[in-house]
Amino acid sequence: MSRAAYPPPRTIWDGINPIRMIGELSETRYWMYLLLLPSAMLITAVVLYPTVYGMQMSFREMRLNRPDLGTDWVLFKHYARMLADPIFWTSLRNTAVWVTSSIALEFLIGLIAALALNRNLPGTKLLAVLILLPYFLPNVVAGHMWALMLDPRMGVINDLLVKTGLLVGYKAWFADPATAMAAAIIVETWHSFPFFTLLIMAGLKGIPADLYKAADIDGAGALAQLRLITLPMLKTIIAAAVILRVIGLVNSPDLLLILTSGGPGRSTQVLSLYAFQMAYKDFNFGYAGALSVVMFVLLMLFAWAYIRLSKVNQD
Amino acid sequence: MAQTRSGSKLLWDVISYAVLVLLALVCVFPIIWTFLTSIKVEEDIVTREMVYFPTRFTFDWYVRLWSQSGYPVLVMNSLMVTSLTVLICLLTGTIASYAFSRFHFPGRTQLMLGYLVVRMFPAVLMIIPLFIVMRQVGLLDSTHGLAIAYTSFLLPLFVWMLKGFFDAAPKELESAARIDGSTRLGAMFRIVIPIARNGLVATCVFVAIAAWNEYLFALMLTTSQGSRTWPVGLQLMVGEFQLPWGMLAAGGMISILPVIVLFAIVQRVMVAGITAGAVKG
Repeated sequence: MSRAAYPPPRTIWDGINPIRMIGELSETRYWMYLLLLPSAMLITAVVLYPTVYGMQMSFREMRLNRPDLGTDWVLFKHYARMLADPIFWTSLRNTAVWVTSSIALEFLIGLIAALALNRNLPGTKLLAVLILLPYFLPNVVAGHMWALMLDPRMGVINDLLVKTGLLVGYKAWFADPATAMAAAIIVETWHSFPFFTLLIMAGLKGIPADLYKAADIDGAGALAQLRLITLPMLKTIIAAAVILRVIGLVNSPDLLLILTSGGPGRSTQVLSLYAFQMAYKDFNFGYAGALSVVMFVLLMLFAWAYIRLSKVNQD
Repeated sequence: MAQTRSGSKLLWDVISYAVLVLLALVCVFPIIWTFLTSIKVEEDIVTREMVYFPTRFTFDWYVRLWSQSGYPVLVMNSLMVTSLTVLICLLTGTIASYAFSRFHFPGRTQLMLGYLVVRMFPAVLMIIPLFIVMRQVGLLDSTHGLAIAYTSFLLPLFVWMLKGFFDAAPKELESAARIDGSTRLGAMFRIVIPIARNGLVATCVFVAIAAWNEYLFALMLTTSQGSRTWPVGLQLMVGEFQLPWGMLAAGGMISILPVIVLFAIVQRVMVAGITAGAVKG
């Protein structure tokens, strides 16, 4: 009986009621596309269009401070210049050092923290919050906190190292080409290792406890269990984490921009930083675009090869 | 045998505690040190012999930063950009995320992958054209323009993270509402979104923190005090007039305070969401 009155009869108001109209639209088979339309349009406008624009820019003369040069097509001029540009090669080498050292350290510390947190010992919930915190702090503040601690005249790290006898005198970590990159990698590791902890913790929850029980019965020690059960089971998530972190490390020059601006000399100059400075300081958008395109292609190649390799290993 | 097993378990427990306490100390020490520096007087900061605990407390750095440097304007601009970014993500991203979570349609996988791949594009490659386009349409050096630029990397993140929370919301209640005559629209707003409420809040907080922290886009796309955000402003102050360490530390503490508070409140749900999105992605 009650169903007879439901849905309520249509009135004139229903014909123009917007909520009712959208409600009826939601019953059509195009509804999901309508839901996706606003975000897809926005992403097209702020990601795809600029990227395509940036790529074609790398084949043009485009210097904002030299309008007299025009914006003609120059084909591969910027790419040819890159091959002969010693700074490009230095940046490429530094990028390799920056990315591999940071990833290795972040993964190792992230894994150790995740394994320790996964034991769910009493009181470690609070420690987990503290350990994850650095990842959410801004680059600008992270950079200045460490610059303060590593300061050559009043840095607390210098003081601690001298007091414990590990260092003879205060050291200007970021002014010495031999230590600048290492110091920056330590700051980066501090900032981003929690990302690995986060993902590996999630992965650890998905490993069935039975596997460890069986290994226990077989007499496998903790290290054997780590090597034979934990790491193989985490393979996919580690691969995902490494790719995401490599993208972040290659693409964003923020931390190095704040800590060293690529100096001293060119000892911490990486590709993303070089491209950004080429755009921000020299306003040479064409060359900056070409450098970014090369970065993008290298990243794509890396991601492709890495996924291939981790799949081959699985078979 | 049993004894050595429990003995080795105890050993590993001790090692775990030691590692975790040490790591937590390393993680928090820079924040504590910055805080201590921000409440020290100048003579305690620049000294011949390192002063670990301030001999005198002072809030002078905070007062000077807030009243003399235009920091309140920077913070207001950042608040504006952050809220706009979250609003745009909320309006366009929530429904997209819902569509990915609930419907199967041609092109779904490709589109979802597309939302993931855009994260691979180098920031610089997008920033330069954004700079040119925004200059043409008059959005350069405005908080609105910056917020729109932020959606380029935060909207895909928002959609992926929120999808994890929508996936976790049971589908039965939704079906029940549909049987009772509710439209898909009604079921989405009255059933699914309220169930995934916590996840929605956590996702918004994650995006808000990222927008609040962002430096590179802001550096390139803002040029005046009217739209500059705090990371750019703080960095400029360091470069322009040799900002005293105490003031820089005070600025850092003010800026990370909202991040720490928000993170502490929603960290459990947020951590679950980040990992859920990553595991499936």
